[in-house]
Amino acid sequence: MTDATAPESQAPRAGTLFAPDNRPRRRNAAERRFRAYGLTAVGLSILALVVLLSSVIGNGAGAFRQTFVEIPLTLDARIVDPKGNRNIDEMKKVTTIGYGRQLEASMVAAVAAAGLKTEGISDKDIAGLLSKEAAATLRNRVLANPALVGETITFRALANGRVDGFFKGRVTMESAELDSNVTPEQLGLAQRMREAGLITLAFNPDFLLGSDASEVRPEAAGLGVAILGSAYMMIIVLVLALPIGVAASIYLEEFAPKNRWTDLIEVNIANLAAVPSIVFGILGLAIFINMMGLPQSAPIVGGLILTLMTLPTIIIATRVSLAAVPPSIRDAALGVGASRMQAVFHHVLPLALPGILTGTIIGMARALGETAPLLLIGMVAFVREYPAAPPEGFFDPASALPVQVYNFTQRADPAFVERASGAIIVLLAFLICMNAAAIILRRRFERRW
Amino acid sequence: MDDIRYADRIVSADEVKIAARKAQVYYGTNHALRDVDVDILGKTVTAFIGPSGCGKSTFLRCLNRMNDTIPGCRVEGKITLDGQDIYDARVDPVQLRAKVGMVFQKPNPFPKSIYDNVAYGPRIHGLARSKAEIDEIVESALRRAALWNEAKDRLSSPGTGLSGGQQQRLCIARAIATSPEVLLMDEPCSALDPIATAQIEELIDELRAQFSVVIVTHSMQQAARVSQRTAFFHLGRLVEYGETGQIFTNPRDPRTESYISGRIG
Repeated sequence: MTDATAPESQAPRAGTLFAPDNRPRRRNAAERRFRAYGLTAVGLSILALVVLLSSVIGNGAGAFRQTFVEIPLTLDARIVDPKGNRNIDEMKKVTTIGYGRQLEASMVAAVAAAGLKTEGISDKDIAGLLSKEAAATLRNRVLANPALVGETITFRALANGRVDGFFKGRVTMESAELDSNVTPEQLGLAQRMREAGLITLAFNPDFLLGSDASEVRPEAAGLGVAILGSAYMMIIVLVLALPIGVAASIYLEEFAPKNRWTDLIEVNIANLAAVPSIVFGILGLAIFINMMGLPQSAPIVGGLILTLMTLPTIIIATRVSLAAVPPSIRDAALGVGASRMQAVFHHVLPLALPGILTGTIIGMARALGETAPLLLIGMVAFVREYPAAPPEGFFDPASALPVQVYNFTQRADPAFVERASGAIIVLLAFLICMNAAAIILRRRFERRW
Repeated sequence: MDDIRYADRIVSADEVKIAARKAQVYYGTNHALRDVDVDILGKTVTAFIGPSGCGKSTFLRCLNRMNDTIPGCRVEGKITLDGQDIYDARVDPVQLRAKVGMVFQKPNPFPKSIYDNVAYGPRIHGLARSKAEIDEIVESALRRAALWNEAKDRLSSPGTGLSGGQQQRLCIARAIATSPEVLLMDEPCSALDPIATAQIEELIDELRAQFSVVIVTHSMQQAARVSQRTAFFHLGRLVEYGETGQIFTNPRDPRTESYISGRIG
């Protein structure tokens, strides 16, 4: 964009200072154009970000609120404890089908007690307003506390995904006509129940804490296992990648001789950072699962793969920040008789720390959002059981947040769109927290020289 | 002189502290310094002068093996400190640098407090057993570097917050805190204004009582002001070495004369 200087003429320039002649005018126009391009680029990126965020939040915010049905329920001993001896082993023989009958009776009774019209709706359809998860919830509650048998309790259960969708605007009377899972009459009843206070929309902690649920009960699906799995993997990445990466970079930057071998290593580290993540997944599958026999779907394998992926990022960031420490600091330390290791650990490393931490956290944030390699090692499996506490839990099957998003989007029920967006919001919240931590650490440790 | 350690190092001014014989320095294949023979005396200020790139800084950095940190740098010939070859395989450069301190061209205090800057050397060399002893060393070093009065109330404030001249005196204090026997200074005043330069020069003159000081300088006036002996380097060779007065008033070599009178360099 720069204009070559024209040969200077010896004659004094004509014209006045107040009216720019052609050359400055062209230069100024070029600068204005360049600024306009820049502003446009920034504007477009902000627009894209806003669209993305508003779409994700618009779709996903609903996942945190869920429709609940709250009814009085008298636990009938004839159904839940047919032997009548409150023996927990006997009571376990009653399946959710039995509890389903109990729920159906209570729902019908509650609707009748509220004086709501139920013409054209069978008892089974009334009970169908509840999630299929409700019977299991009730069963667990009774088995946890057998003393409840015979008592009247207030039972709060998830509503069916279609009912939930109806209150969130996803399901309409028209779509219900075509839907074999729900009838317009049921939705009408649900509307009346809401007006009667039997149905409420409330914050649903189980979205964050609960485990995944099957295809037919989107209302019960939660992220607990995925969040735990991701957290375990991040712990593994931090514990392995940070010390290994920092040690490798310190050696390469400060101690290693500069020769062809170190050049080769340097080039390869830079290349490793650019290797597609799925390749790391195949590598991990071959080495960690097939050769070393580590369990599938386990955070330990995912963590190891993500460590391999994060290492080049950390090494590059660390080397850059080590190289950015002025050599005069090394000279000063060596000059008073410090050994090279003392010079590095007492003076160079503290100065490079903000850069190292930022690089590490950015690398970890990238690892947190990584999906492809985890699919290959089986973390895509449907996992309902929570992994145990670490360290044993590192070897238990778990899911991961991005994989959970992928999982949700694979499912047919439109209610999972909301779940997937909700999971993305959680993932983004984690990423924002990590980046904020990076900024805070940077500020805290930054020193001037 | 509140430190007993200096008492046993009073030596005669004619004693040879550092001797170089046929010293050669190569940077890779580039023969940067050829056949340097110099005797640096104890309790003397020796100035190295010469045009840029003549090898004077290179030679200075040979004297405490700072060149070891430069990849591809090779030193041949013999350089001795008190008769011991400093390039002997048994010599630990770390120990050598505790005896031969160095002050650099640009003030380079650590981004730590003034106190920690001065205390760092004594700490890593284990020169003090207690906090009180370190306090004492820090105070005496700062006093000898003529910085105590300015710094005593702000010992815990960062060394990088001082002015350029103060920073350089802090670096001198840091170097003398490890009680070296020789102090190497690589253009210590090139980044300073005339007033700060004058203070440093005065300081160098005082330091001569305790150390052998070797100073590389671009300013011939400075060499004439502070040094007793001067070495003139040109194109990687030591051209002339002798009494400062003789070098500046009656140089034997025509190249020295040309440089001194401003015709080359």
